[in-house]
Amino acid sequence: MATSKVEGSSSLRHAFGGVLSVFILLLIGVVAFSIRLFSVIKYESVIHEFDPYFNYRVTQFLSKNGIYDFWNWFDDRTWYPLGRVIGGTVYPGLTLTAGTMWKLANSLNIPLSVETVCVFTAPIFSAFAAWATYLLTKEVKGPGAGITAAAILAMVPSYISRSVAGSYDNEAVAIFALIFTFYLYIKTLNTGSLFYATLNSFAYFYMVCSWGGYTFIINLIPMHVLLCIVTGRYSSRLYIAYAPLVVLGTLLAALVPVVGFNAVMTSEHFGSFLVFIIIHVVALVYYIKGILTPRLFKVATTLVLTVGIAVCAVVVAILVALVASSPTKGWSGRSLSLLDPTYASKYIPIIASVSEHQPPTWPSYFMDINVLAFLVPAGIVACFLPLSDASSFAVLYLVTSVYFSGVMVRLMLVLAPAACIMSGIALSEAFGVLTRSMKFHITKYFECSHTEAPAKLGESTSTESSAPLENMTKSDTTEKPEVARKEKVARRKQKKEKELTENAHVKPVSAKKEKRPLVLPLEASIVSVFLLIVLGGLYVLHCVWAAAEAYSAPSIVLTSHSHDGLHVFDDFREAYAWLRHNTEVDDKVASWWDYGYQTTAMANRTVIVDNNTWNNTHIATVGTAMSSPEKAAWEIFNSLDVKYVLVVFGGLVGYPSDDINKFLWMVRIGGGVFPHIKEADYLKDGQYRVDAQATHTMLNCLMYKLSYYRFVETDGKGFDRVRRYEIGKKHFKLTHFEEVFTTHHWMVRIYKLKPQKNRIRGKSRKSKLGSKSTSSKSGGMTHKNPWN
Amino acid sequence: MAKGTNDAQLLVQSLRKAYAATPTSLKIIDLYVVYAVATALIQVAYMAMVGSFPFNSFLSGVLSCVGTAVLAVCLRIQVNKDNKEFKDLPPERAFADFVLCNLVLHLVIMNFLG
Repeated sequence: MATSKVEGSSSLRHAFGGVLSVFILLLIGVVAFSIRLFSVIKYESVIHEFDPYFNYRVTQFLSKNGIYDFWNWFDDRTWYPLGRVIGGTVYPGLTLTAGTMWKLANSLNIPLSVETVCVFTAPIFSAFAAWATYLLTKEVKGPGAGITAAAILAMVPSYISRSVAGSYDNEAVAIFALIFTFYLYIKTLNTGSLFYATLNSFAYFYMVCSWGGYTFIINLIPMHVLLCIVTGRYSSRLYIAYAPLVVLGTLLAALVPVVGFNAVMTSEHFGSFLVFIIIHVVALVYYIKGILTPRLFKVATTLVLTVGIAVCAVVVAILVALVASSPTKGWSGRSLSLLDPTYASKYIPIIASVSEHQPPTWPSYFMDINVLAFLVPAGIVACFLPLSDASSFAVLYLVTSVYFSGVMVRLMLVLAPAACIMSGIALSEAFGVLTRSMKFHITKYFECSHTEAPAKLGESTSTESSAPLENMTKSDTTEKPEVARKEKVARRKQKKEKELTENAHVKPVSAKKEKRPLVLPLEASIVSVFLLIVLGGLYVLHCVWAAAEAYSAPSIVLTSHSHDGLHVFDDFREAYAWLRHNTEVDDKVASWWDYGYQTTAMANRTVIVDNNTWNNTHIATVGTAMSSPEKAAWEIFNSLDVKYVLVVFGGLVGYPSDDINKFLWMVRIGGGVFPHIKEADYLKDGQYRVDAQATHTMLNCLMYKLSYYRFVETDGKGFDRVRRYEIGKKHFKLTHFEEVFTTHHWMVRIYKLKPQKNRIRGKSRKSKLGSKSTSSKSGGMTHKNPWN
Repeated sequence: MAKGTNDAQLLVQSLRKAYAATPTSLKIIDLYVVYAVATALIQVAYMAMVGSFPFNSFLSGVLSCVGTAVLAVCLRIQVNKDNKEFKDLPPERAFADFVLCNLVLHLVIMNFLG
């Protein structure tokens, strides 16, 4: 009778717990969605930054022209005159997802525009990512840890920074795909079901479609398999989890045009093939071990080893020769720059110049993952008690992502889910221990409410401790395994150190124990629970602050607060709108590559270079033109059929990310391809300056002239608010360019190339055609080659 | 050296004896795996002779053979009665998973074949 009543009440508790979990998860999804809406509330529903504009343009094309045209699209409005094969060079996952959502909404007669769908894709998928974290952590540790981890991930600032509403970039869906793929892998590992292995391959396919970071998955999973084999945890479930994934995964990855045959030919994938072979060898060894007697097995091993080593040596020699023959050892430039942090600065200055590719500083860890930074070590320890395949995977994931986040600040995003999982485990374990202590003490108090010393194990002697421990072993059979774990998790709280040492002494004394659950004193538990809740509250406060203040700036619209209210700087859109309405459709615009995507998307004009940065020489050409004197620059731009030049200038309002601050990178990149541009020519005594002490080359280059033309008219002295001094050359005229538009706060300045004069006085030369023709693809014009 | 060959012979014999004890259904699966791997090797040899021009066709052919071999091995693992981990998995479920995975594999192969 009593047992069935207990069972009934426990199943009722389980049912109640299940319903509560569903509600909690729903609320977590709502939190994840709403915390990312600050930029929509503070500014407007607009697409942020630079890369999202390209994705938005591609999505627009997809929604207008359908998937077949999208797959075969050759874009001629960028990288003039080279063009870009969009179908083959873009990761289609994000655009296809948003396009599908748009199509679905419209088919249900919900009239959402493409822009709205693009802006809100990231918050929706962050809610999905939180739920995926719940599933993953549930597989690793349990449902309690899952809910905690999901709640933490919904708010972690590092993930918010790349998935805020309006940040329509690959990471918005890729992080969800990453977590979901890991969840399915762990689920397959735990259950050994081939069905989940198939789903795992599909999730991996979605990840490959979405982001170049999929190479992290295809290298982490083989590393984990290798770890399991080496630590003696090989099982047939491991084979089922890994082998179908490699075959199906490679095939599916090869289906995506961006990856194509790279799926079998680049070093990023070789690791998975190597472990594929290794796991087959190990499986064979285990099989033979199972059917032979031990003595014969020893004979077999000696035989195989002698023959096998010889064969292996030959194969390895061939492989090494093949790999070493390519200069990058088969790795792509981006992967190499991750493995060797100094590679990019030596060989690929474009990768080195992007600010998100710099190593992070210590404060950025506390800004981005806050409280998790010190919950993670506790979580690592909790994963070892007990160690299972899934928890070893979580630890490996954390360690590798910590390394990569140390190389590039952009990869802190990959660290965020790992840190959330670990912290969720740590917090859940801590809460489990503390509430168990409280429950134990309270039930004990109600049971024997007279005299008997309350079980303050920490201060009691060994004899007294055995009695309450006996009580404990009878009533709490399910929590035995959590003994030592509780010890270690509690170690970080200073108050409990005293009890710990005494608990450790108590342990060997009692006679009857196998696993004794130790409890903490009641006051300590209550205070600790309270402190943990305060910790959680501080974390939430920080996340909301970071989301509202630090990560919600759309960077296309700037605001500043001054004594007379809020100033809005909408100069970028002003300039692009001017271009859109006041130039011909086929006019080409040259600017630094940062603004390429925005120019094609918003101004709808052809650009020379954009953020895809796939052609270093083309970018170097533009960089050289910006660093050359006016005439040489005019020649270069004329050879590229450029009509308008766009520069960004922050000196009047104090906008620090303008082209003058980026100018040295233009010089370096240009100098990397054209040796007549030397960085030292632009520096005075090794220092970069544009005031009166600047070098002659600097004061005469195109970038200086286009930025500071007529700047002295603003305040009479030419005081640059970003560089904080007066500029060097104040009064000068432009001979080959004319200014056509400057925005309200002088942030974007547009110049037009002046046509050549019809007659050149004083010298007898062939008269050049001086017409203002726009597209000059025919060989009518005689162009002087500027590089002779 | 004689001891070596003697040992090798003994080894082969005991392997044969132990293998003969496996049930027939598992032997059929093993035969299928051998056939798939042999087909893959024949394809590789063919590619070595005539060159790899439509590389996607070569890749899809070889990977389909390797893929079905791997899936058959997974089926064998799940159906084997000696395997303690899978003793409460009905063999029909294992076979259904095998069929599903093969369907997906061949769908992808057909797409990639060109």
